[in-house]
Amino acid sequence: MADSGGDLAIAVEGLTKSYGSFVAVGGIDFEVRRGEVMALLGPNGAGKTTSVEILEGYRKRDAGRVSVLGVDPERRPRSLRVKVGIVLQECAVDPYLTVAEAVTQRAGLYPSPRPVGEVVELVGLEEKARSRVKTLSGGQQRRLDLGLALVGDPELIFLDEPTTGFDPSARREAWDVVRGLCAEGRTVVLTTHYMDEAQALADTVVVIAAGRVVASGSPDTLGGRDHGETTVRFVLPAGCGIGDLPLPAGLAPVTRGEFVEFRIAEPTAVLHTLTGWAVGRGEPLEGLAVNRPTLEDVYLSLTDSQDRPDSQDRVEDRGAGPRAAPADDPAAAGTGAAGTEPGPAR
Amino acid sequence: MNDLLVAKEQVRYEQLAYWRNPMAAVFTFMFPIVFLIVVGTSAGSSRVPGTTLRYDQYTVVAMLVFGLIAACYTNLAMAISLRRDSGVLKRMRGTPISIGSYFGGLIGSVLINVAILAVVVVGIGMAFYHLHFPYHPAAVLLTLLVGIVTFCALGLAVTVIVPNADAAPAVVNGIYFPIVFISGVFYPLSDGSVLSRIADWFPVRHLILALVRAFEGGPGSGLQAGDLGVMLIWAAAALVFTARRFKWDPKHK
Repeated sequence: MADSGGDLAIAVEGLTKSYGSFVAVGGIDFEVRRGEVMALLGPNGAGKTTSVEILEGYRKRDAGRVSVLGVDPERRPRSLRVKVGIVLQECAVDPYLTVAEAVTQRAGLYPSPRPVGEVVELVGLEEKARSRVKTLSGGQQRRLDLGLALVGDPELIFLDEPTTGFDPSARREAWDVVRGLCAEGRTVVLTTHYMDEAQALADTVVVIAAGRVVASGSPDTLGGRDHGETTVRFVLPAGCGIGDLPLPAGLAPVTRGEFVEFRIAEPTAVLHTLTGWAVGRGEPLEGLAVNRPTLEDVYLSLTDSQDRPDSQDRVEDRGAGPRAAPADDPAAAGTGAAGTEPGPAR
Repeated sequence: MNDLLVAKEQVRYEQLAYWRNPMAAVFTFMFPIVFLIVVGTSAGSSRVPGTTLRYDQYTVVAMLVFGLIAACYTNLAMAISLRRDSGVLKRMRGTPISIGSYFGGLIGSVLINVAILAVVVVGIGMAFYHLHFPYHPAAVLLTLLVGIVTFCALGLAVTVIVPNADAAPAVVNGIYFPIVFISGVFYPLSDGSVLSRIADWFPVRHLILALVRAFEGGPGSGLQAGDLGVMLIWAAAALVFTARRFKWDPKHK
């Protein structure tokens, strides 16, 4: 048995893959530490699925070095397959078996599976254990799929868009399952289109665009997000012009409809002055919002600023949306456009 | 994990799923039995030229062949096409199961279906049409086995040219029905006829002829080396084609 990769669950160096003349993956490098949740983000066609399927052993690479739990996945050794759980985008279970049968069948393929009842409970399908798979809702089938990937007690789990199509509460439950896996020391590789999902779950985010890694880091620091300027926005008080506001020179406030907004690196002093001024006038600052750039803002500017002329506007709009008052429920805002996001959830 | 043990478990789950899906069983079991009852009772007692079997007895053997092809070729091709399209095959490939255990489970389940079919169809023949218990039972079993191998192999091979699950019935049956029709499954062919010369190129007629000879009394072992040989050539070609071209992933991906 080869050494099992040390601290690294996954190491990728110079990975390339082309289909004919189309370069799907153009030389990427990244690492995933054991016990970590890594989120792979990127637009459709960026090379996410190709990369993940190379790691899963479904595809052969053209060049580069890939190590999964210390093994080259291309040879698909059984010793690796018993340690890896995979959830693909398609739900793939025999429709005529019951939930319990499907899980039991899968458990029988592994040397030391988790108890079937425990897995069924973990994905919240106890009441459906005796129902045939074809009678489950789409979300329930996805949860069964997740359970099937977990029944072998894997060290490493690949989740390809695991919560697509889930309602908000089902997504929250799925997130709890993923957090539980990490708490048990398992490694998770996640692809997702939901920035709030990456924000809530990932220790590390790797953004791929056009077959290359354009950024990687923690969700809080990705793309200089922690150094990005804060946007302050509020309704211009009646009877005031922009020139009447007690703002320091050098700021460039702009009006957007009835709102005025400006960007500033460090807003504390300005807010103090501004709110003191408003209190002194005896009028509140309607719609006051103070927003850091969201992960989605950073992601959009990283991935599509070149090929979409309007993207800059969208980034601004989303970063400074009027509803972006300090929000504490990222799931409620499916686009991830909520203003203040919770820190790393674990 | 013991591959054989896993394959045995797979057979169990394949059987569970098979009998819960009534559509798959219709062609394998219902059609041969209904055809046997309808045609058998009206076929009269004259003998099929070149054999010692009556028309109704010939129909028993022909329906055994029809059901065997449905159980092996049609059901296997449909099951694999659907599973590939829905991603089941891809998922299985990511688990520790060996290819042998997985297909062993599928084919083991097919074996059980053919055994049930043989008992039912031959039982009806013996009970109602005075079909004699095979004079060469070993030859019948071996011929059935070669038939199972051949039509399972062809079922696997046809999945290579099935583009997606929606097209599967058209492709699978589009190949199957004309050949079954010209091969004397529904009515015996006379030797040397144009139809029989065309049918001789395909395995279906050879399976019928070999089984008829094994059921009949006669000298020797009852084994028809020539007929079995043609089937095995088809089986080998189908397996080579499958091994080279089989795809696990949904083709639309």
